[in-house]
Amino acid sequence: MQTLIYGSYILVWPAITLGMLGMISYRVLRDYREAKRTNTDMV
Amino acid sequence: MNSELFQFSTATVLLLLFAFYGGTYWLSRMIRHDGDDADGFMVSNRRIGLGMGAASMTATWVWAASFYAAATSGYTYGVSGPLHYGFWGALMILFIYPFGRRFRELAPNAHTLGELIHARHGASSQLILAFSNILGSVISLMVNLTAAGALVSVLSPLSFQAGIIIAGVGVLSYTLYSGFRASVFTDFAQLVAMMAIAVVIIPAVLFAMGGPSVMVDNLSNLSAEQANLFSREAFLHQGAPYFVAVLAYAIGNQTISQRLFAVDESHIKPTFITATISYGAIVIGLGMIGLMALTMGVEPMDGNMNNLIPQMVSSYLPPVFIGLFFILVIGSLSSTADSDLSALSAIMMADVYGKNIARNKADPRKMLLIGRMTMITATVIGIIFASFSLDILVMLVFVGALWGAIVFPVIASCFWNRVTNAAFTWSVIVALLVFCVVRFELLPMTGMLAVGFELLASVGAGVVGGLMIFGFFGKRLGVIAFFIATAVIAWIGVGQLREFTVLLSSLTAYGVSTLVCIAISLASKERFDFNTIQQRVVDYNAPADDELDAPVTAH
Repeated sequence: MQTLIYGSYILVWPAITLGMLGMISYRVLRDYREAKRTNTDMV
Repeated sequence: MNSELFQFSTATVLLLLFAFYGGTYWLSRMIRHDGDDADGFMVSNRRIGLGMGAASMTATWVWAASFYAAATSGYTYGVSGPLHYGFWGALMILFIYPFGRRFRELAPNAHTLGELIHARHGASSQLILAFSNILGSVISLMVNLTAAGALVSVLSPLSFQAGIIIAGVGVLSYTLYSGFRASVFTDFAQLVAMMAIAVVIIPAVLFAMGGPSVMVDNLSNLSAEQANLFSREAFLHQGAPYFVAVLAYAIGNQTISQRLFAVDESHIKPTFITATISYGAIVIGLGMIGLMALTMGVEPMDGNMNNLIPQMVSSYLPPVFIGLFFILVIGSLSSTADSDLSALSAIMMADVYGKNIARNKADPRKMLLIGRMTMITATVIGIIFASFSLDILVMLVFVGALWGAIVFPVIASCFWNRVTNAAFTWSVIVALLVFCVVRFELLPMTGMLAVGFELLASVGAGVVGGLMIFGFFGKRLGVIAFFIATAVIAWIGVGQLREFTVLLSSLTAYGVSTLVCIAISLASKERFDFNTIQQRVVDYNAPADDELDAPVTAH
């Protein structure tokens, strides 16, 4: 049980990082498509 | 365990640096340019989307010291250590957005927070803020270049100075032409690299050293306090001083306010929440490597805590991971350094030239020249100071105090129409003086004097708590939180706080600046009309006639 708790405590952070990486990338892709569609700049 | 760190050859490390800075430079050249666009150079198009905005906030806030300090915290304080570094650091991002929305509402065309304060109070208050921003960004730049030098010299035969110069020139090369726009655009690529590497490295180290079961088997290496998730020692020595700095860092740092003025106004909240979670996850995760080192009984090489992560990666993983770690650190320090250059250039362009020299009749071309000259000068200063490895502790302490002293006056100035220029200026000056007395123990902290300072510090703690609650839940709950926090900290802290000089001095700065600001403001009969700020803070590039007629599009 203790092994599971310690393992989860350490591995939950890279797991959250991965989730946020996916979300940020998805939003940037959406912004990129929108910018391309309207012929404008992202920044 | 290897007793020495892995060493790259000179050719390999130069290739890695060239690939990183060459790729970043190539990305920056993809940005479309308008040679006269001073506003774009400072705040982009003011409609940066959620993904790009959150990536930029996160990449800027994660600097090289974040990894090293989080790992050090994990190694020193055990299980709760990484949380007490990363969690509070993440909250810095979160707690600024309610105030950021107010800043944006008051001055939608601002480029710096100083411009807003200039419109509210005039030059002296604005220059105090601008000065604190400049000091903070120069120090940050220096620290990041120093980290580059240290990394290169530890992992390759190249010298410390060579690492500093390559990083300085590399960052300047891709930031100089497009300014803030390049900073934001490249932040995304740098953050993707950082996150991907963090996702791989943390589990890789854990399983390479035997997995969670080996950690559990070695828990006897932790003291009772280190094994406690709710460690009092970790909170008082690491978490609490950091918690106090939460608002100060966010208010005093132009890199954050620049992004507040640049992201799409309707996305400020989700952008900052996304950045908060991302920052926390990356930094706490890498801090866990410090906890792993502690559990395994690893001693930091040469007693230097900064060697902990490279040592763990070097000991347990193949060279390719050390290459990834190298890119991780270079990416983190470069993204922060380019933000510092953009922040410094915006302050010199808008706060110094725009408001105090050209007095709102600024020539955009001249502004851009000033911005770029500032970047070059700041890089040269950063390289020189970093090369000499100057002891900047006193400067850091002073900047921290200055930022703490300006928090209440800045926030109050944006919500309360009675705050005057004199109230702003004197509250900061008096708070700084009192801070110095406490921080450098110029008076003996005993007897009634110590009790007096502890009570002032309790007020400071109440201000921190009250402002945070005020930001999210409004005035009534903010005031209640202030009184509760002040009473609780006074109850617990009198007789105790004097033992924690850093915490006592920081809280005292908050408390004194608040009391002085309120006292002088209440004595004044002035009432400020907030609507005038919008008229006083304007874009420097007048919109072209065809733009005025064109429909608004999402850039």
